[in-house]
Amino acid sequence: MKKIERRDFLKIAGGVVVGGATGFVFSGAPFDSLQWLVEWSQDQYVPGQGDEHFIKGTCQSCPSRCDITVRMIGDRAVKVETSNEGCPMGQALLQVLYHPERVKYPLKRVGKKGSGKFVPASWDEALKAITAKINDLRKAGRASSIAAINHAHTNSNLLLERLIRTSGSPHVYDEACTCNLTRAAVELTMNKDGTVLYDLENADYILSFSARLLEGWGRDSDISKAFINWKRNGAKLVQIDTLSSRTASLADEWIPVNPGTESVLALGIAYHLLRLGKRSTGKNFSSWAQILFNLYTPENVSKVTGVPVEVMRRLANDFARSKRPVAVAGRGGTTASSSVAEIAAILCINNLAGNFGESGGIYLTPAASLGEPAYDSIAAESIKKTERSRGLDDYIENGADFDLLFINESNPAYGSTHGKRLLEKMAKASMVVSFATLINDTATYSDYILPTLSSLESLPREGKAIAPRYKSIHAGDIILRIAKGVDGISKAFPWASYGDMLGAVGRDGRAKPKNFTFPTDIFKKHLKDVTTKLNDSSEEYPLVLLPFEAPTVGNGEGLALPYVLKSIDKQTYSHGRLWVHMNPETAEKNGLSEGSSADLISKRGEIGSVKVHLTKTVAPGVVAIPLGFGHRAYTEYASGKGVNPKEIMSDEIDPVSGIADWWFTRIKIS
Amino acid sequence: MMKRKWGMAIDLDKCTGCGACQIACMQENNMPIFKDDSDIPKRVAFLNLMAVTNDRDMDKKYGEVRIAYIPKMCQQCEGSDPDDPQPPCVSVCPVIATDVGDDGVVSQIWSRCIGCRYCIVACPYEARVFNWWKPRYEGDLKESLNPDVSIASRGTVVKCTFCSHIWKRERDRALAEGNTDINAVEYTPACAAACPTGAIVFGDLNDSLSPVTKLSKDKRAFRLIHTVDEKEEGQKKELHKFVKFPNPKVYYLTSQTWIRDMMRFK
Repeated sequence: MKKIERRDFLKIAGGVVVGGATGFVFSGAPFDSLQWLVEWSQDQYVPGQGDEHFIKGTCQSCPSRCDITVRMIGDRAVKVETSNEGCPMGQALLQVLYHPERVKYPLKRVGKKGSGKFVPASWDEALKAITAKINDLRKAGRASSIAAINHAHTNSNLLLERLIRTSGSPHVYDEACTCNLTRAAVELTMNKDGTVLYDLENADYILSFSARLLEGWGRDSDISKAFINWKRNGAKLVQIDTLSSRTASLADEWIPVNPGTESVLALGIAYHLLRLGKRSTGKNFSSWAQILFNLYTPENVSKVTGVPVEVMRRLANDFARSKRPVAVAGRGGTTASSSVAEIAAILCINNLAGNFGESGGIYLTPAASLGEPAYDSIAAESIKKTERSRGLDDYIENGADFDLLFINESNPAYGSTHGKRLLEKMAKASMVVSFATLINDTATYSDYILPTLSSLESLPREGKAIAPRYKSIHAGDIILRIAKGVDGISKAFPWASYGDMLGAVGRDGRAKPKNFTFPTDIFKKHLKDVTTKLNDSSEEYPLVLLPFEAPTVGNGEGLALPYVLKSIDKQTYSHGRLWVHMNPETAEKNGLSEGSSADLISKRGEIGSVKVHLTKTVAPGVVAIPLGFGHRAYTEYASGKGVNPKEIMSDEIDPVSGIADWWFTRIKIS
Repeated sequence: MMKRKWGMAIDLDKCTGCGACQIACMQENNMPIFKDDSDIPKRVAFLNLMAVTNDRDMDKKYGEVRIAYIPKMCQQCEGSDPDDPQPPCVSVCPVIATDVGDDGVVSQIWSRCIGCRYCIVACPYEARVFNWWKPRYEGDLKESLNPDVSIASRGTVVKCTFCSHIWKRERDRALAEGNTDINAVEYTPACAAACPTGAIVFGDLNDSLSPVTKLSKDKRAFRLIHTVDEKEEGQKKELHKFVKFPNPKVYYLTSQTWIRDMMRFK
C-alpha cells in the first residue's frame, strides 16, 4: 500500500475543506440560515389595517362623565381621545377592553372558596341558580340575609339596591368614598340625604384639609378645570397635609400638620373665625361656640396639631377676608378616609364663612334615586324588622351573617380594613355572586362570577358602537334579568333594559344647604378622643403610618393594567418590592438607610417586607406608604406585587358613618 | 430653512403629575406589554414621568421639601447650528437610522437601526430605549395596536418622535379633502392631547405667534440641563461656535426656583 505523503494528506484535506465549503455555499444552507436569522431577529407583528372612524360618547368610569372619542380601525378600538379632559384612567380604557384576563363567560366555582378554580357556565344556568336562591330565602323568611356591596361609582348601584330592598333586605352598602363619608356628615348636620358639592371652580381661597385635590380626589375633570381657573384668576390654594404630597407641592402654601389632627386644626381655625367676629344663624351655634372657647383654644390646638398659633390666626384671617373662600374635607386622593367629626368641623367653618349656596362655596346635591319601590308583603315585613348597619365596615364587623351576597364591580376584601373578616363571612355564605370585568381579590371568593361590560362597551354612542366582547352583559341588565326571575318583585322593575332605567334616575341638581345644626356632643369629647388615639400605645408603636397614592396607581383599581404597571416610578415599586418613604431622621433612629428592608407592624398584624426610601417630604416619625399594591388575586399583572397596607391599618369604625377611619395607624418597624 | 420647527412647552406649575400623558403615549405608540412591566430595566417607554424632590442633598428641612413631576421625552435637539442640525444622537448614528427632518423632528426608523446603541450613549437626556426583548402584546391586547406606528423588532433603539405619524395622518387627511398646502397642517401629539390641565403645549417654533413660541420666551422657561441658556446673548453665540450644545426644542416652565437650581446642578 502506498504510503500517504504529508503533502498528499494536506492536498486531500484542503480539497475536502474547499469542496465542503463550496458545497455548503451552493446548497443554499447559508442563505437559509441567514433568512432564519433575519426572521428570528426581525420578526414583528403587523397591526391589522382597516377603515378609520371615530365613536363619540361619554365615559362611564366615574361620575365625571367626560366626553371621549374612540379612534377605531375597522372594528378595533385603538385610541381614546379625551381632548384635555378626564384622567389617566380614561387613557387606559382600552387596556380594560382588551385585557387578556377578562371574564369571558359566566363562571361557576368548582374548587374550594378562594382557590380561584372556576368552570364556564351558561347565562341561563347561572341566573337560574341565583334567582332560585333569592326565592328560597324569601320563602324561608330569611330575606334579610341577602346583601350587596356596590362600587361607589357604578351606574348599576341603584338597580342593585332596588333588587335587594324589594327582596326584603336593607343590607346594601357602597364602598367608602368621599361622597358617602360626607353623606353621613350631611345627615348629622343638616338632617338631609345628600352629599356636599364644592364649587371649587369659582372659589378664590381654597383651604384643603389633607384632601389631595390633584391626586384623584372627587371628580378629576372638574378639579382639573378648577385648578386651571385658580391659576388664571389668582385664587389661593392652601394645603394642610402631613406629607409633601403632589397637591401640597403645587399649592400656593403648604401647612404641615401632625398626622391625624386635621379636625382639631379645623376647629382651631373656627375659634379664630369666631374671634374675628364671624357668627352664624345655625342651630346650637352658641353652645358650639362655647365648646370652642373652652376646649379648642389656640394653645390647645397648636399643641395637638403642631401648627403655630400665628399661622392659624393668619389662615383664619385670610379665609375670613376672601371673597369666595371654601374649606374642603375628605382626606386622601382616590380613596378617602375621614371621620364624620372632621367633615362636620369643616362644614362648620364653611358655615361661618357664609358660603352656603354661594358662588365658590358649598352646595348640597341629593343622592341619586329611583324613588321608593312598592314592596310585597314578604319584603315589607322583612325590611321592617331588620335594622340596617351604619355603613359597610359596620356591617362586615357587627352585622349578622349573610347567606347570599352580591359584589357589584367592587373590591371590598381588598379596599376595606375589614377585608379579612369579610372573606371569612363570604366563605361561610352559601352563595356569593360577583359582577366583574376582571377577577379581583373579592371576586375570587365568589360562587358565580358574571361578566360585565367594560366602560368603553357601555359608552352611550353616536354612530357605530363598540361591540360587547365575549358573553358579557352590562351589570344593570344582569340585575334586571335576575329581578325578572324573583317571584313577586317584577312590578318594581318596569324597565326593559338598563338604558331605559337611566331616564328614570332623578337628576342630581344642586341646592343651597339649609337648616344647619352645629354638632355639639361630638365635639365635646372629640379633642380628648383624638389625643387618646394619637397617644395610644405610642411607646410600643412609636411611628405613624400614613397613606399616599402614586400617579396612575391611585387606589390600585388600575394596577391590573399593563400600561399602569409600566408607569410606576422606581421609588414606589421596583425590583418586585414596594417602597415606603420616611424622613432620614426616622431612619437613623431605627437603624435604616436608603434601600434597607423593613417589616411594618401594627396592633393588627405585620406586612413586609418593604424597602425604605429616605426623603424629607415625610415628617419625622411618619412612614408614608403607597396604596394600591399587594393584591392577593387581581389578574397576573397586579397579583403579588408589594403589600396592602390596609391589612395593618387602623380598623376603628366611625360611629356615625359606620366606615373605618384608617388614615392614622401607629406602627413599629422591625 | 425648515418649513416647520415643531416644539413643545411643558408648564410644570400646571402639571399635577397625574400620568395621563404617559399612558396616552404608550397607547398611541404601541409600547410593548410584558408580563411584568413594573420591572424598570426591562421597560420600554418613550415618555417618562420623573419624580424629583429638592432634598437630594438632604440640606433642606421637612416643610421646605417639595416634589415635582417632570414629563420627559425625546427633547428633539437641534445642535448648535440650526442650518445644519446635528443633535448628539444623529452625528453618531452609523446607518442614518436617526436624522432631523425638515420639520425639526429627530426621526428614528426602527427597521433601519442596527442596534449599536451609540445614540443611547450620546443622548444627554436618556430619552432613548433599547429593545432588549422582542416586543410582546399579550392576548387580545394586540387588538388595540395602532397601525400608524410599526412595531419595533428586538435589538433596535426606539424613542419619541413627537408623534410625527399623527402629522402624516393629518396631512393625508388634508390631501384627501383637496387641501394641497399640506405643510400648513398642524397636529397635536398624544401626550399634549391627553393632558387634563393643558400643561403640555405643542406647536411651531418658527411661527412667532404660536403659543409655544410665546411660552418658550417666557421668564419661567428653561430647558433640561442646558446651562448655556443663562449666559448673555453675545457670549452664548460665541460659545455655540466652539461647543456643541444639544439645544433642545422642548421647553419647561416653572416658577419654583428649586427646579431651576436643579437644572444648574445646584
